[in-house]
Amino acid sequence: MTPWLPFRLAWRQLRAERARLLSAIAGVMFACVLVFMQLGFRSALFDSATALPQALDGDLFLVHPLTTALFRPESFPRVRAFQTLASPEVSVAVPIYMAQAIWRNPVNGSHRAIQLIGFDTEAGAVNFPGLPALIPALKRPDTIAFDWKSRPEFGPVAALLSERGPFKVQIANREVEIVGTVALGASFGADGNAVMSETNFRRLVSERKVGNTDLVALRLRPGADTAAVQRQLTALLPRDVRVVTHAELVAWERNYWETATPIGFIFAFGSLMGLVVGMVIVYQILFADIASHLAEYATLKAMGFSGGYLRLVVMGAAGILAGLGFVPGVLASIGLYDVVAKATLLPLRMDPNRGFLVAALIFAMCATAGLLAMRKLRDADPADMF
Amino acid sequence: MPPPVTLDGVGYAFGEGALRRPVLRSLDLTVAAGELVLLTGPSGSGKTTLLTLIGALRAMQDGSCRVLGQELRGASEVARVALRRRIGFIFQNHNLLAFLTARQNVAMSLELHPDFGDEGKRLAAADAILDQVGLSDFTHVVPAKLSGGQRQRVAVARALVARPGLILADEPTAALDRQSGHDVVHLMRDLAKKSGMPILLVTHDPRILDVADRIVSMEDGRIVA
Ligand SMILES: Nc1ncnc2c1ncn2[C@@H]1O[C@H](COP(=O)(O)OP(=O)(O)OP(=O)(O)O)[C@@H](O)[C@H]1O
Ligand SMILES: [Mg+2]
Repeated sequence: MTPWLPFRLAWRQLRAERARLLSAIAGVMFACVLVFMQLGFRSALFDSATALPQALDGDLFLVHPLTTALFRPESFPRVRAFQTLASPEVSVAVPIYMAQAIWRNPVNGSHRAIQLIGFDTEAGAVNFPGLPALIPALKRPDTIAFDWKSRPEFGPVAALLSERGPFKVQIANREVEIVGTVALGASFGADGNAVMSETNFRRLVSERKVGNTDLVALRLRPGADTAAVQRQLTALLPRDVRVVTHAELVAWERNYWETATPIGFIFAFGSLMGLVVGMVIVYQILFADIASHLAEYATLKAMGFSGGYLRLVVMGAAGILAGLGFVPGVLASIGLYDVVAKATLLPLRMDPNRGFLVAALIFAMCATAGLLAMRKLRDADPADMF
Repeated sequence: MPPPVTLDGVGYAFGEGALRRPVLRSLDLTVAAGELVLLTGPSGSGKTTLLTLIGALRAMQDGSCRVLGQELRGASEVARVALRRRIGFIFQNHNLLAFLTARQNVAMSLELHPDFGDEGKRLAAADAILDQVGLSDFTHVVPAKLSGGQRQRVAVARALVARPGLILADEPTAALDRQSGHDVVHLMRDLAKKSGMPILLVTHDPRILDVADRIVSMEDGRIVA
């Protein structure tokens, strides 16, 4: 007996009931799309939440140990930045200042909180895409660069810029001039960003302690051993700062969203619900198929087909449903990702690893349904056949 | 060679304890090679129960039952499944798979036989026997589009295609009209006689008694004649 024979029987049986087959495929596809959307949102959230630390390109960073996430940092003495220069390997140390302020939409006047990021733009420790060309203009008083990847509620800033050149907007009740755009990305912590020089930051955010900063980006001399410098600075600096690498800074931010908020759990729960609903649908279809063919299954047992053969028929049907539901499910999800990414500006796209994960989940879901439905086979008793 | 079926003091009871009800009582029966034995008797006399024991569809309780050289007393499930592959079953209802055509239904029973390893061989054998039961024009038709008599002929073809060592049939004509019932039983006998397959056939139908080599009557779990 070749193993594909029960598989073929499963397919012939499924094929015979078009309506039942289509509703099963729709159920699997539904679960598939739901899980893809949940996992997509989850990963987009974590990607976008870390947009700021990812765009900061330093070799090492100083952070306050109590900082949970960069959109609300704990500040620490700015003098820590200069203390790092005691190490001959550190070439540049740039304090970065962060705060949120109210932005007034230049078109309709509505208000929204925007993330302000200020630093010495000429030090070259931070290079957001688009920033280098704007450095001279940003030296002028009351100028900012706007993040064009901010959410649309801030107004059509990029369009206005290309239409009429630099123009004025209101941030924290102060007029500032937008001189250009950089690319950073909206996150769940900040809907939009504005980048400016240290001096202009102080003008906008006056109620801060002058000697404090929120983050320090360090650039090391070429060829320096990052890990060694990290150890050296950790030993050198007081306990009010932690020395982290770029990867650690990104991981720090990601960890906040994953553990300190219920967001990760919510998406995992949503995925689970999708799988449970899909499992119940597939189970009912498989169960109905067995229940309505009980006499035939019993006949097959009487003819000498083993229980294993019939179990393979059920599992084969489960596998076929998984495959037939997954393919349209993944295609629909790719389309939906595109639509949702355009609507939310979240970095939502299909990635092969997630594809494999969801395929495995869907097959496991159908296999579970198959294993549950299989118990109905016991009711097919060949002794009751005559 | 020993006879295909030898029963020696077979007893069987349903239920446990106070509810225990004996259905077969120390029953002896032999079916010789190539013989067509007809089993009759009033309703509830235990005919079907006896057939399920001989067909290895039920575990034995008392006595000894040798079928095609296999002792069924204390036989394992695996041994019983293996024996069932060498027996052709025909039921009162055809029990064909509704989603398979006539030839696919017949070919399925060959999937279990090592001599029919490839699908081409199986379908060729199915077509050949469907031709013998007069259904060569219906090989690609699903059971729903066949008449009752035609379906039962497909069931006969399915039971016989693998040339089993024994055929067990339980009231195969009960659901058929007079003419179809007569045709099906004669077909069955002719095919079986050609290859020397013994048949044990349970029936209430007086119209088909003429096909038998021997008629055995049961009453209250015992053979009376
Ligand atoms: N699964 C079962 N559980 C309990 N009692 C059963 C079971 N199957 C049959 N019986 C009883 O055993 C007795 C014999 O049944 P059996 O079906 O063998 O009779 P039969 O001769 O085939 O009758 P009929 O001609 O009506 O088919 C009957 O009294 C029946 O009620
Ligand atoms: Mg009966």
